[in-house]
Amino acid sequence: MNAVDRYSCEEVFRRLNDYLDRELSPAEMALVQEHLDTCAQCAGEHAFEASVLRELKAKLRRIDVPQSLIAKIDAILSDPGHREEE
Amino acid sequence: MPPPPPPPPRPAETPQPAESVLAEAEKRASFEREALTHLDSLYRVALRLTGNAAEADDLVQETMLKAYRAWHQFEKGSNAKGWLLTILRHAFINEYRRRIRHPETVDLDAIEPFSVFADVQDEDPQGTFFDRIVDDEVLRAIDQLPEQFRETVVLSDVEGLSYDEIARILEVPVGTVKSRLFRARRMLQGKLYDYAVGMGYIKGTPK
Repeated sequence: MNAVDRYSCEEVFRRLNDYLDRELSPAEMALVQEHLDTCAQCAGEHAFEASVLRELKAKLRRIDVPQSLIAKIDAILSDPGHREEE
Repeated sequence: MPPPPPPPPRPAETPQPAESVLAEAEKRASFEREALTHLDSLYRVALRLTGNAAEADDLVQETMLKAYRAWHQFEKGSNAKGWLLTILRHAFINEYRRRIRHPETVDLDAIEPFSVFADVQDEDPQGTFFDRIVDDEVLRAIDQLPEQFRETVVLSDVEGLSYDEIARILEVPVGTVKSRLFRARRMLQGKLYDYAVGMGYIKGTPK
């Protein structure tokens, strides 16, 4: 890989969310990864963002649909009058 | 006095041709297989959009009824979750939003959220303060985001949709999704940082 192709801190910063969300092309992912391997400041910021995001997702996903709502939907779909109307 | 008209036959008792019964059973089976499996997702999104359990309950019921009636329009095997979320969002905009929340007048571009990392990197570079914050507080912080930020964060971080899928559901360009997500996550971090400082989990000054 050529030195000219490498990302600066600024370029990595702009792509940090995309990197965390795996929304970059494989080539861009590699360039960000390469920068994070060698830049302590950006690696620190990335580790922080990754950890907060991971925890955020875990907290948000701990909600399931209530059984009572599943039963109501089942009743709606089984009622010919209800489901055909409109 | 003429005799009262006979009561109309109850729909369930109307004899149906075997074919239509069979078609209905097939429709129901494919709907259960491809649509009802996403109920958890729909409920979580509805909860964050409406901000309360009763309205979320109504919104999901309405979404499923609309989806069931329109099931013939769904391209089988394609992304049912995205299709259902689009229906849910339209139902929310049309029937709930005006009732529940006032239209927001936030100038989203004027929001320049600060970086929490800059403040905590010496004391707590891994963001462990965040682990101590209870789930309810995180949900409250999300519910306080401007609606356009809130829906973007929910679709991305709760449901794990790609930027492309989110852009399709919200009917905005991918660039808008990215910029909202960036600002929304920063705002969330800021709110939770303030909370953590207030609780004494970390030292610092609320922003």
